[in-house]
Amino acid sequence: MNDQVTISPTTLSVHLTLNGRDHSLDIEPRVTLLDALRDRLHLTGTKKGCDQGQCGACTVHVDGERVLACLTLAAQVEGRSITTIEGLADEDGTLNVVQAAFLEQDAFQCGYCTPGQIMSAVACIREGHAGSDEEIREYMAGNLCRCGAYPHIVAAVRQAAQELRS
Amino acid sequence: MTVHDMKHAASDSARLEAVGGRLSRVDGPAKITGAAHYAVEQQLEGLTHAVLVGATIAAGKVTAIDTRAAETAPGVLAVLTPDTITELKGASDWFGNPPGVQTYCPLVREVTFSGQHVAAVVAETFEQAVAAAALVKVWYDETPAIVDLSDGKAGDGIPIDAMTKEWGDAQAAFAEAPARICTAYNTPREFQAAMEPHGLIARWQGDELTIWEPSQWLDGMARTYAEWFSVPFENVRLVSPYIGGGFGSKALALAHSAVAAAAAKMLDRPVKLVLNRPQNFTSYGGRAATRQTVAIGADREGRIQSIVHRGVNETAVDGMWVEPLGSVTSIMYATPNFSSKQNVVRVNTVVPGAKRAPGENPSAFGIESAIDELAYELGLDPLEMRLINYAEQDPHAKKPWSTRQLREAFAAGADAFGWAKRSPQPRSMRDGHQLIGWGVAAGTYPVRRAHGEAVVKILADGSVEVESSSIDMGQGTYTILAQTAAETLGVPVEQVSVKLGDSHFARAGVTGGSRLAGVMTGAVYKAAGQALDELIGLALSDPRSPFQKLQANTLQVRDGRIASPRGEGPELSIAELMSALGRDHIEAKGDTLPANTTPEERYKNYTTIAMSIPHTEGDWSRHSWCAHFVEVRVDEDFGTVRVSRVVSALDSGRLYNPKLAESQWKGGIIMGIGQALLEEGIVDRRHGRIVNGNFADYMLPTNADIPDIQTISVGIPDPHSSALGGKGVGELAIVGIAPAIANAVFHATGKRVRDLPITLEKLI
Repeated sequence: MNDQVTISPTTLSVHLTLNGRDHSLDIEPRVTLLDALRDRLHLTGTKKGCDQGQCGACTVHVDGERVLACLTLAAQVEGRSITTIEGLADEDGTLNVVQAAFLEQDAFQCGYCTPGQIMSAVACIREGHAGSDEEIREYMAGNLCRCGAYPHIVAAVRQAAQELRS
Repeated sequence: MTVHDMKHAASDSARLEAVGGRLSRVDGPAKITGAAHYAVEQQLEGLTHAVLVGATIAAGKVTAIDTRAAETAPGVLAVLTPDTITELKGASDWFGNPPGVQTYCPLVREVTFSGQHVAAVVAETFEQAVAAAALVKVWYDETPAIVDLSDGKAGDGIPIDAMTKEWGDAQAAFAEAPARICTAYNTPREFQAAMEPHGLIARWQGDELTIWEPSQWLDGMARTYAEWFSVPFENVRLVSPYIGGGFGSKALALAHSAVAAAAAKMLDRPVKLVLNRPQNFTSYGGRAATRQTVAIGADREGRIQSIVHRGVNETAVDGMWVEPLGSVTSIMYATPNFSSKQNVVRVNTVVPGAKRAPGENPSAFGIESAIDELAYELGLDPLEMRLINYAEQDPHAKKPWSTRQLREAFAAGADAFGWAKRSPQPRSMRDGHQLIGWGVAAGTYPVRRAHGEAVVKILADGSVEVESSSIDMGQGTYTILAQTAAETLGVPVEQVSVKLGDSHFARAGVTGGSRLAGVMTGAVYKAAGQALDELIGLALSDPRSPFQKLQANTLQVRDGRIASPRGEGPELSIAELMSALGRDHIEAKGDTLPANTTPEERYKNYTTIAMSIPHTEGDWSRHSWCAHFVEVRVDEDFGTVRVSRVVSALDSGRLYNPKLAESQWKGGIIMGIGQALLEEGIVDRRHGRIVNGNFADYMLPTNADIPDIQTISVGIPDPHSSALGGKGVGELAIVGIAPAIANAVFHATGKRVRDLPITLEKLI
């Protein structure tokens, strides 16, 4: 509560590669990557669960690493490559192996945490942290699921990791 | 009500697409690719953004609001206060009772709980609205608040006579019983904490209002909006295609909903308002905190002679919520004498609400802990104790159970868990520093029933559409209704598309109390049957039909092809037949309402809960049942508890889709693990404020907290519970998990924790 807060009208021009395509955005510096994706770029697959970095629903990949889009300012991804859930399947619609495993294992119910879970799972496998169920549980613990799909998420990550190894 | 003998009986060998088959979610592809657009993700021209300002006191008056700085902030379109927001009419409650007040203001001058909405800012962008909301200054005249049930000012509360259940002479029988326990059990304020926050987009076009809002009850919420704004019910359209979890919290239009709709009307622009995560802990009620005492008297062999139960739940200063604490207590065990009474106590909180199995959940924590305590008192195995007191009929309603596979659940669960290998003494099982405990508890949930309707269309290309204003928040409605229509019509499930979540579709009552699947499969079965009858009738009688000359009595449809059951004559696809008939569609609206239902009754059926059918209606008492077996590992030095194994055997009757039902059961078990070990709304006693209203401090179970969970279906089709033989699924499995864990912790440590959650300081 500060009367002295001034709100700058300044906008920044941000250039990024989003799901393989170049985009530029004129935005205020205070806009998060999450809100830029959802409200400016109309990519609503990335979900806002807490806006405080506590739930993982907004997980996206920045240069291949999992990042919380709610704790990342859009201005921070200048020149970076972003992958969201919308960019995970092939152009022809063929599902990513992790997506397919989530469907097969029924690793979601309401679906709201699911894009973040899948983005985390893809990175978790890529990071080499899907070696055992225990390891999967630990490295997927940053993505909350209130429907309680956890055992099926573990099964899906295990299945996808095995398919990617073989 | 009868169970219809469907072509494919429920079994593991059932075809995937038939009712009872393990079809993957039909809405799954949209959800895993980001293509599923949830309510507030609609992209509208001219959308504005609203942010709420909440009270920083729990009781008192707003004396002044300075909006000048906010009003002049960039992008701000309006700052709404109790003085400036448009006046609304009072709306009736969910029973349809008329409002107690003529007018309603969703922004308050009289504050009754911390976080209550006092002002709102609307701006061109979300960021502008957030920044400007921080500039609104509010002055208060604070008065002492009653912060929770333990507050000295709280008192004993208000007796709720409707909750009283008594038979025999419970006090006298308890006094005379040779074995007795009398203990108190507490559960804290808990929150639904759906991952999708509450929020909405409201848009007015003239006097027509469209609301995109996650909703467990489109028609009920549409009624509330219509009454608030004095427009006809038909003028309000609620759209809720996907719901990111509800767990009971998303069935009502709430104060923030009214603010957004009022702002949209005032500005004549669409307004989006989404509660931030902390506001999701104060803007609607979670599960009320509860207190119970359970006194059980038994003979030396363990047969219960009497149960005396007293309960209290918190409610709001200006709203009533009753969490029925005697609901499981009164039916789980046979007893000749019983008494249960309940009070509610007003405290300065948002009015509590429904969270998964309201009533049954805390009720089971009391009775299922107490029965365990009595078993140890008598030196009996806790499972044997439960079987000794098995209720062969409903002890309260004095009616036979429609189906009760609880004995089978105990047997199947015990066998899979290995209960026979349990060492009975507390602290007698260990693995190094870890004390191991095995606990059991039962759960139950009533079969809540209602009437429903659905529209089924057969289109020219042979595809089928099902329409209903019911919803899918993850239970699998899209999928099981597709399976029901596919099986009833005899078409492949890929040809069926199910459309839900629009109040302009066929009406639907509340999605709550685990009733939706039973109600809606019945309605779709009926509508699809009518559509099929019409198709076959036309095929037999229309002069343009190739079947007309056949002089057959009937035809059958299999895999989307129609032919005589005797194999004579032509075989056509539905599309070919529709083409021959010159029809572009066949449409049937089926409902399960009595034939003489008036339009007023129909409206009431879908927009209130007043016409729900009691679970003890007629000759039967209808419930789902379950038995949970839990292993915990407790660190001997630190008192940390880990659930290491869960085996649950559940009777939900016939499962419409076992794959999805298992997911819901596991979800309930996991929410129960959170309730047992983690979840507790903590109130700052100075200001009556929830201090852990976020996902870091109000701890939900994470993936790392959850072990393997085995669920076993022991249900059989229940002809008295639903058209297709199913009973409730979604709420059942959370009931009994917390006491099973508490009982396991006692077995591990010898310490009985009667206050949830079971945190380490209670064990060391």
